[in-house]
Amino acid sequence: MTVHWAAEVGDSWEEVAAEMERAFRFAREAAAEERSVVFVVHSDDLLGRRGAGRAMVATGILSAARTMALEGWRKGWTANVVAWDGETGTREETEALAIHLASTGTVTGEVVRIGPGHIGKALP
Amino acid sequence: MNGAVVVTGAAGGIGLAIVDALKANHLTVVAVDLSPALADLEGVVPVQVDLATDEGVTAVVSAVENAGAPLVGLVNNAGITRDARLVNMTDEDFRKVIDVNLGAAYRLTMALVPLMSDGGSIVNTASRAYLGNFGQFNYTMSKGGLVGMTRAMSLSLAPHIRVNAVAPGLIATEMAMAIPEDVLEKMVAAIPLDRMGSPQDVANAVWFLLSPLSGYITGEVLVVGGGRSLSV
Repeated sequence: MTVHWAAEVGDSWEEVAAEMERAFRFAREAAAEERSVVFVVHSDDLLGRRGAGRAMVATGILSAARTMALEGWRKGWTANVVAWDGETGTREETEALAIHLASTGTVTGEVVRIGPGHIGKALP
Repeated sequence: MNGAVVVTGAAGGIGLAIVDALKANHLTVVAVDLSPALADLEGVVPVQVDLATDEGVTAVVSAVENAGAPLVGLVNNAGITRDARLVNMTDEDFRKVIDVNLGAAYRLTMALVPLMSDGGSIVNTASRAYLGNFGQFNYTMSKGGLVGMTRAMSLSLAPHIRVNAVAPGLIATEMAMAIPEDVLEKMVAAIPLDRMGSPQDVANAVWFLLSPLSGYITGEVLVVGGGRSLSV
C-alpha cells in the first residue's frame, strides 16, 4: 500500500502514540521496500483546529515524511503529504491524487493541500 | 512578570541557560530533570523525576502547588535522541523518543494548565529538525508533533494563555560536541551566521516568548538557527 491515511484520534496520549506508531511501521516497511509513499492528513489538523491529539499526529507525520524524503531521495523513492479538508472533492479523488503524487518520482518532502483553507494562514 | 515557571530538561545545556535567564528576571524556577546533575543547581525548586511516568507528572504538580508563587510559565524543554536510518530504527527507540519528547510534554502541560494564571505563557522547545533531518524519523516526528501541540493549544487556551515554540538549530551543547569534528565543521559552514548557536541564544528566544514582550504572539514557531533553514 502506497497511501497511509491518518486516523481520527482523540486527545488521549495513548491514542496519539498508537497512531504515530502505526505511521512509523507503515513508513519503515515502505523504506525497506524502497517504495514511494504519501500520507494523507486533515488540513485543519496541520493548523491545530481540531484538537491537540489530531494536531500532534498530523504535524508529526509531516515532519517524519520530510525526513523520509531525505532518506529516500538518493535511492529513488519519495515521501509526501496530502492535506485534505474533507469537503473539497471526494475521498476517492484524494486517494487518486496521492497515488499520482507517489508515482512522479520527482516531487518529494512536499505537502499538497486540497481545498482553500490554508490560504492566508500559517505554513505548516 | 512575577511568579513561578516550570522548566523541564533543566540540567541540560539549553535548560541551564533558560534557568539562568529566568533567575536573572527574578522568577521562581521549578527545575525538572531526570539527571542527578539537577542537585548542582542553586536557587531553584528541584524536581528529579522521570516525566514519562504518571508519578513524575504528579511530583511536578505538587512542587508547583508548594512553590509559594503563582504559576505563570512552562517551558517544555526535555528531549532525547535515538538516531538511526528508518529501515534500522527499532520499535523501542521509536517509542522512547516519542514518549519523552512529546508524550511527557503533552501530559505535563495538560496537568499544569489548570494551575496556570491568566496571562501565562507556555514555550515548547521543538527543533529545526522538525523541517526534516536524515536519520531522525522518531525525533522529527516528536518535534513536529510538538509544533502541532503548540498550534492546537494556542487556539484552545486563548485568550488566557499563550503557547509558542522555539526551534533551535545547531547549538553548542554536549550533544553537538559528540559529532565528529570534520562533520561538525561542514555543518557550521552551512550556517549563514557562520557559527553554532549558544544555549544563551535559545534562552533569549524562550525568555522573549515567555515574557510580556511577546504579548501579542501565540501559536508561532521561532527558529533559532542562524539562517540555516535558507542555505543549501
